[in-house]
Amino acid sequence: MFRLSLKMTLARKGRLFLTSLAIILGTGFLSGTFIFSDTINQTFNRLFTDVFKDVDAYVRSSQFIEVQFGEQRSTASMAAYETVMAVPGVKDVAPDIQAFARIVGKDGKPLGADQGPPTFGGIASQSVAGLWTIEQGKLPVGPSEMAMDKATAESGNFVLGDRVNVNAQSGSRAFTLVGIASYGDVSSPGGATFALFDQPTASEFLLKPDTVDAFLIQGDGSKSDEELVAAINAALDPALKLETLTRAAITKETTDQIGVVLGFLTTFLTVFSLIALGIGCFVIYNVFSITIAQRLRENALFRAIGATRKQVTSAMLVESLIIGVIGSFLGFLSGIGLSKGLSELLNAAGLDIPTKGLSIQPRTVIITMVVGTIVTVLSAIFPSIRAGRVPPLAALRDTALENVGSNKKRFTIGITMLALGVIASVASAIGAPALYLGFGIVLVFAGVLVCGPGVAKPVALALGKPIERFRGVTGSMARQNAARNPKRTARTAAPVLIGVALVTAFTAFATSAKHEIRDTIGSSFRGDFAVSAPSTGFGGLSTSLSDQLGTLPEVAQATGIGFASVNIDGQGKFVQVINPATASGLINFTMVEGSQSELSNTGMLVSTGRAAANNWKVGSTVNVGLVDGASKQITIEGIYEPSGFDVSYVLSRDFFTETTTRLFDNIIYIKTKSGVSEDAARIAISSQTQDKGLGKLQSRSEYIDAQSGQVNQILGLIYGLLFLSIIIAIVGIIITLLLSVFERKREIGLLRAIGMTKSQVRATVRWESAITSMLGAVVGVVLGVGMGLVLIAVLADTGVSAFSLPVNETIVILVLSFIVGVVAAVYPAWKATKVNIMMSITTS
Amino acid sequence: MNNPSAAIATEVSKIYGHGDGEVRALDNVSVQFEKGRFTAIMGPSGSGKSTLMHCMAGLDALTMGSVSIGGVELADLSDKLLTNLRREQVGFIFQSFNLIPTLNAMENIVLPLSLGGKKGDAAWIDRVVDTIGLRNRLDHRPSELSGGQQQRVAVARALASQPAIIFADEPTGNLDSKTGNEVLTFMRKAVTDLGQTIVMVTHDAVAASFADRIVFLKDGKIAGEMTEPTPERVLDYLKHLGE
Repeated sequence: MFRLSLKMTLARKGRLFLTSLAIILGTGFLSGTFIFSDTINQTFNRLFTDVFKDVDAYVRSSQFIEVQFGEQRSTASMAAYETVMAVPGVKDVAPDIQAFARIVGKDGKPLGADQGPPTFGGIASQSVAGLWTIEQGKLPVGPSEMAMDKATAESGNFVLGDRVNVNAQSGSRAFTLVGIASYGDVSSPGGATFALFDQPTASEFLLKPDTVDAFLIQGDGSKSDEELVAAINAALDPALKLETLTRAAITKETTDQIGVVLGFLTTFLTVFSLIALGIGCFVIYNVFSITIAQRLRENALFRAIGATRKQVTSAMLVESLIIGVIGSFLGFLSGIGLSKGLSELLNAAGLDIPTKGLSIQPRTVIITMVVGTIVTVLSAIFPSIRAGRVPPLAALRDTALENVGSNKKRFTIGITMLALGVIASVASAIGAPALYLGFGIVLVFAGVLVCGPGVAKPVALALGKPIERFRGVTGSMARQNAARNPKRTARTAAPVLIGVALVTAFTAFATSAKHEIRDTIGSSFRGDFAVSAPSTGFGGLSTSLSDQLGTLPEVAQATGIGFASVNIDGQGKFVQVINPATASGLINFTMVEGSQSELSNTGMLVSTGRAAANNWKVGSTVNVGLVDGASKQITIEGIYEPSGFDVSYVLSRDFFTETTTRLFDNIIYIKTKSGVSEDAARIAISSQTQDKGLGKLQSRSEYIDAQSGQVNQILGLIYGLLFLSIIIAIVGIIITLLLSVFERKREIGLLRAIGMTKSQVRATVRWESAITSMLGAVVGVVLGVGMGLVLIAVLADTGVSAFSLPVNETIVILVLSFIVGVVAAVYPAWKATKVNIMMSITTS
Repeated sequence: MNNPSAAIATEVSKIYGHGDGEVRALDNVSVQFEKGRFTAIMGPSGSGKSTLMHCMAGLDALTMGSVSIGGVELADLSDKLLTNLRREQVGFIFQSFNLIPTLNAMENIVLPLSLGGKKGDAAWIDRVVDTIGLRNRLDHRPSELSGGQQQRVAVARALASQPAIIFADEPTGNLDSKTGNEVLTFMRKAVTDLGQTIVMVTHDAVAASFADRIVFLKDGKIAGEMTEPTPERVLDYLKHLGE
């Protein structure tokens, strides 16, 4: 039986190809994601191994604060430099800094993307242990010279001798470009930009005088790395709180850190590929259902000549196994191409992730093959069982149509699942754990898909009505064709449905979030202008800038807001940092107790929630630890009701003076003096900020628009999801239509014989496709809006509460789905016109 | 015999394959079908009778020779014009699978007209529907009709556009003799009462006896003709032909 199955599988090349296509689609993304992330990891491993090849030991501060997105480490004192140099076995020591510095381009705009890779400042030194090699010019020496990485020099059109403006923690300054450097053997790692200085300049400009981030140490070869580390550790002054790592340890740590960052990307891609696989399952299931239905007579013949039910079923399953193995392998291969495409795509998006060669791990082949084959065989189980149930008599009958099972039973099951899903979702919306929402959404989807065939017919007929009116007989036939096999139509529409539902839900959510952000910022920000930091998350605006702006004759008040990481009672926390002297009137907390303007440099404001959780009252004392290990006792001086996206802790910026914590402002709010025109104020403020590449100056309304517009970035990712499901949906529709055309050969032949033109044949296929795709889209939109509502209700306490219907986006989605239908029909419609009239009318 | 011709085949040959594998399905056949007459084409299996019909109906391309329908030379026509000609000038009745399963009987009858974006002659269609006697089943789908009813609907569809000629390929081949006779009676009526032109391929002597004239084919060539046939005379002739 196995050999027979193999023979029959290979005999039908077209069918084999179509089924494989569905599997390739599902597994290709999976394999592509694996290969892509393995390749990146391998590249970075090599890069850091190369970078640290001359480093035998690494000295840094032992103090750090662990916060949500990684750790923040304290700096090391230059006082250790001589100590380490003196340790026997040490040949050379290179101080190292990786701090925020933004190079301003020749056009006055800061280089690097606002949301892109970080912009660094560092040290370029003579030492062999240093990470940078000068390719052109010389090392920078003294307070007015700098070097930069080759990629940035190229993109900014900088040449040796240019005056370059750089913004950093202590403000902005101009330097002469004296050198262009490369890092390891790449011109710029990960698309980051680098401004490089000699050590005293870097320390003073980027950090604090006489501090660095680390020392890179090269041994003279007389000691092993471990012995060298032990010797350095023994020599270091414990008061400096430093630690020493071996080359292996620091290489691994750096690689792992990059791994964490890339991990987000990998997780994101994996989620995408799993969704692709899930949607692909429908296509696979559909293809098996159709092909097995089309072979009803063949299987009946087997039954008639003595094959048992089990034999027929297992023959089908063996066939699916063979196709699964072939398809998954092809999927794995297509993943290689896809991974290339992915890195091209990221490069195009400005994320220059260096990938060298291809890393294909055995795991990739195994997982792709196993998952692909299992999914295929699972998808084939029901159709195979149905194949076994075919009565031998069917061989003699002239019907090859899939029989549509009882709708009643289907509806009962589907509606039950739907109801349970809705109950679970609503339950989570009114307070049950989020897990309920997950179950609820899965159940709702399952319920809709089970009900699908019952819904497909009336909806397809309704959707086809205008087409029938518009296109006459071809429209009418398309409409009837879409409705003639509701099961098939429903399964074909499923990928469109899932994609559209997900996108609609997230769009609805994002639209609502946008409105919410608008309202919140609108009510808490009372200024006329805002200057926002060019790069969120890393670095920002020097805190001196807001004071400087406050002195402008056009400005009445200017206040800076920043963020810092501290340990509160031993736990790493993100705190908001304000200047109490200037904040009032520009940013207002809803105080329950205490006053924000009276916040002292030894006090803290906390949210009502945090206060309740920790049993804090005004007057309670809290221990706040800083990044360098120092800690301060502070007093709770006020409690506020958080609104929108407020952070739970507020400290005064004076708290951080005389500490080594890196402090920037992320945003400066400005109120202009009355009587000063908006234009005059803009020109005055801009001359101190935007014109120097410092932040982005926006009026109140521009700022609010920009803040709410940030949600669009998330939407961008969601539209990536839409794109993915569109591709799968198109392929799914193409496959189904091809099989339908194949099945209706005689019908098409007859129509051609009695006078249907080729363009009419094409129109019939095209409109059927459009109706199918619209069916998925319409049901998907309904489902998506429902999901969006629930999502918003569930997440109400994180700040989004009002539901806004994304009208424009929904229209775009519907139009897009229509286009998908039309595009998917192109090839099958062409194929339909190739039907041989003679063949189809003479075979009886 | 003095009626003008609805379709003319002149020195038509149809050759499949080449060299040693060459098969001459039609070998230099010339034949005319007069307007307002019911003609049957008979012959043993492989005699080329179906091929002749397909070629004359513009469904299959000729190797040599020419075919014209209603005075129009088929060889000159593009696929689109040929399709239009089939839609307007030619009616078809096949042995089985004549109807589109998703359309009801009435929609099937007017399908060629609808495809051309036309309404057709309502009075004529009414008359055709009366002739086939299925007025109360017009909104039924083919799957709800018996085999005989389905073939009657097919006859009505072939008549609906008042074509120059109707080709029928073994129209009763899948029917029992009683239903077959019913369908043939309708075809006869269509010629006698409605003035239509029908060419029917058959191997059944009884069916052929409904025609005004029979053209016999053997080995791709015209083997003879007979007018005013009876089943007995036809069987007799076929016996001679076989020898």
